[in-house]
Amino acid sequence: MRRALVIAGALLLLWTVVAQANHSLTGVHLYLFVGGLYVAFAALTQPLGPGLGASIMGGLLCDATSPASLFGTHALLFAAAHISVFHIRDRIPRDDTASRVVVALLANLGLFLVFSFSQVHLSPAPAEIWPRLLVDLLVSQVALTLLAPWFFALQARALVLCRVDRESLA
Amino acid sequence: MTLGLVVLMWLLIPTAIKRFTRATFFELTAPLTIAASYARDLQEYWALRMHSNRELIEAGRDLARLNASYELAVQQNTTLQGEIGRLQELLALPSFTDFRYEHARVARRELSGWWQRLVIRKGKNFGIPVGAPVIFTGGVVGRVTEVHATTAVVELLSSPELRLVGVVEGDTRPISFQGGVNPTFGAPTAVVEFVPLDVIANRNVTKRLVTSGLGVFPAGLTLGVITKLELGADGLFQSGEVRLDERLSALTEVTVLVPLHHD
Repeated sequence: MRRALVIAGALLLLWTVVAQANHSLTGVHLYLFVGGLYVAFAALTQPLGPGLGASIMGGLLCDATSPASLFGTHALLFAAAHISVFHIRDRIPRDDTASRVVVALLANLGLFLVFSFSQVHLSPAPAEIWPRLLVDLLVSQVALTLLAPWFFALQARALVLCRVDRESLA
Repeated sequence: MTLGLVVLMWLLIPTAIKRFTRATFFELTAPLTIAASYARDLQEYWALRMHSNRELIEAGRDLARLNASYELAVQQNTTLQGEIGRLQELLALPSFTDFRYEHARVARRELSGWWQRLVIRKGKNFGIPVGAPVIFTGGVVGRVTEVHATTAVVELLSSPELRLVGVVEGDTRPISFQGGVNPTFGAPTAVVEFVPLDVIANRNVTKRLVTSGLGVFPAGLTLGVITKLELGADGLFQSGEVRLDERLSALTEVTVLVPLHHD
């Protein structure tokens, strides 16, 4: 429980940073989506229970600030991404930061596309919305690449500071 | 297996608990949103403090001129309001809804390709109701969709989830309006449907679209400018594109119209 709460606390910080970045980017109509970052660290390094709990809490955090009709969508998608990454984590070099970033990028790509396909029908011109979404995806992937090493280190450090993990494991 | 269990649990959770969870998580983020908003205000304050006295004197002079013209408009408005009241009494017409103007700072803007929303720094603590119209100097901003303890969420005019009825300025026939595509680096847009065939608009000859007075919005508020119309699939009406005010993407303060006789 403590492990999940520490990671969820870090996810709250990530949510704040990204929300402020999105606030600043509204003038140029760009939007950052970093769903992959919410699940990558927990899925690659943590036990299934607390890690999944943290990812679902991160999803609920995103759901709470999305339209009410979508409540649960982020949480379920993050849970699906978490479980998918968790099941393949022994086959990838997960201690390497670069590999973790690649996993986060792939998870983000999948989450963004699934979320977009679930939302695109609401638009009065579904075909015309894709150029905007693709630009958002591209910018999000670049932002995620820059944010990921810092955020992975932050989560690892938070677990050590809260005495959930020992220094060597972080 | 685990995912199936998570989905099943989610489906079995009663709606009331889901609603409570959503409100809890929103209120968890609200202090962060508000703190960041106040920090931005403080930053702006110190930036303004850097202006020279000369710039302030010039700004004060310009404001005094604007105030003088507004004073005149207020006097004319009072006379016209009186005239409307007398005519309503004479013709036994139902009176227009009166509003209280609640000005609010924008705490957070969220303009994605999927939805466009604002979080404002006033909520239940200022009696903001769900569904209240929100306006700014350029016209309509949107509608309040959620009200929380100290914040409220406004669905922007450019959001595909917002639909309302508009009319072309000077016309009375209703037109369906819906938020549309918001291209990167471009002005926000919306779409109109059921436009009568005799309305002509294109990039050179634009038509101003205003609120109809049907629904929560008072009549005559600017929605946008119709820049393109083409014959619909049924051949009976036209559909087209509306260019919205570019300032919608960078709003820092809005006004909520709170109905005075709110049930």
